[in-house]
Amino acid sequence: MQNTISQPKAGESYLLWFIKIVSGLLIVVILFIHFLVNHYLAPEGLLSHAEVVAYYRNYPIVPIMEGFFLVFVVSHSLIGTRSILLDLNPKKAVMRIIDALLVLIGLVATGYGIWLLFAVINWGA
Amino acid sequence: MSEEKWTVNFVVYRKKGEGEPHYQTFTLEVSPDEYVIDGVERIWAFHDRSLVFAHACHHSTCGACGMRVNGVEKLTCITRIRDVTTNGGTLRIEPLRNFPVISDLVVDMSRLYVGMDKVHAPAVHPLSMAPLEGEGIKPPREVPMDDGKEYLRLADCIECGLCISACPIAGTAEEYLGPAVLAAAQLQGLNRAPDLTAIVDCVDGVWRCHSAYECTAVCPSNVDPGWRIMDLRRQVLAQRIRRWFGAA
Amino acid sequence: MENPEKKPNTRGIWDWFDPRGRKVGGWGFILNRLSAIGLTVYLYLHLVMLGKLAQGPEAYDSFIAFAKQPLILFGEILVIIGGLYHGLNGIRIALNSFGVGVNAQKQLLYGVLTLTIVGSLIFGLRMIAAH
Repeated sequence: MQNTISQPKAGESYLLWFIKIVSGLLIVVILFIHFLVNHYLAPEGLLSHAEVVAYYRNYPIVPIMEGFFLVFVVSHSLIGTRSILLDLNPKKAVMRIIDALLVLIGLVATGYGIWLLFAVINWGA
Repeated sequence: MSEEKWTVNFVVYRKKGEGEPHYQTFTLEVSPDEYVIDGVERIWAFHDRSLVFAHACHHSTCGACGMRVNGVEKLTCITRIRDVTTNGGTLRIEPLRNFPVISDLVVDMSRLYVGMDKVHAPAVHPLSMAPLEGEGIKPPREVPMDDGKEYLRLADCIECGLCISACPIAGTAEEYLGPAVLAAAQLQGLNRAPDLTAIVDCVDGVWRCHSAYECTAVCPSNVDPGWRIMDLRRQVLAQRIRRWFGAA
Repeated sequence: MENPEKKPNTRGIWDWFDPRGRKVGGWGFILNRLSAIGLTVYLYLHLVMLGKLAQGPEAYDSFIAFAKQPLILFGEILVIIGGLYHGLNGIRIALNSFGVGVNAQKQLLYGVLTLTIVGSLIFGLRMIAAH
């Protein structure tokens, strides 16, 4: 155990925490709409491929909302994961690798999600 | 104190040097209105002089006798036996968590003291800081009062370390400043001591807290570290957001 | 006496989740962390599974048919419970962090738990009925 506290350690500040809180609140709002739209307003609950494609094409606001939802939920989950990992007091070098991995996962997940949205909208076109 | 007598099994954590920790049971006849520290002292006095534990004032001022009693952090000089066990029952006495054990029930609390120094709330003030000399010790930003507008007794931290022991995060986040230190920073106030902002707005500062409020639940001095950490967050955010808009 | 190399007296990650001796706020933290980990795993599984949409009707529709088995339904109900709790408790922590309702954190947590139970029952029963 280190008995001398070093200089303030950068790596987590108000900004990341603020983004986590704001994205969390936005997720709550969009998730509510997501549930309402996908599972109550959609006639069959979007349980068939054809219905998903038709729904996304007819209501462009839905895939736009899903895109924003994806960005918020991925950011929130990755900042949250990072916060849990920081609770383990990792060494700076390890944290640098973890940060790079988390950014990579975030970019891949967001890119993949947006590609998927376009794949659904353009299906059979 | 009543004449009532209880038989209580004190199951005491023992650890010496690099040896493996183990538990040793001492069966004592006690008055239920005695305090847990009384039982521990009696074990030392009449059963085992090698038992190491810390105590001093016996009235919740020095903060030396913090231990875990049946898994919960307690200041043992103000914890009545009646309140934590029954006649024929067990009292499991363990050292505080999240500090290195020096011997038996005594832990090395350097982590807490170093943090307190860091946020300008040292455990011991030099003589030159005494109120009769020069400017004296600065009082905290606000002294908590109860509803009757009386100053709360012991609203200041007694540095017993119970909050750090109770914090679920302080065990893994070894460099986390911890509840007592962050509460001391809040008492100073970031406006009054702006250099504290960088110390608390970092990896080991206010963002390590995950709002379990266990610190407040165990604090014997009304410090309410949970509330103070939340207030400190609000202060950090207010200060940083003001900076976005160009304020100093 | 001081030994800077000495490790603290802790059981590490286990102390995050051990509910013994904890008060209400501690339980709130444990549930928040468990739901966070569960929802994160679910999120990325969900994203991977949605990839079936890009593979066409056969792949997606057969996956939906597969997902109707009771074990998956049970998992989905767990996601609802975890999501409701994590979302509502998140609002509680956000409010507390802006200095709102800190002294009522216990009562707020009871409110969060009540809403989670009520919401889970409503959604869960609907899902079971539609199954």
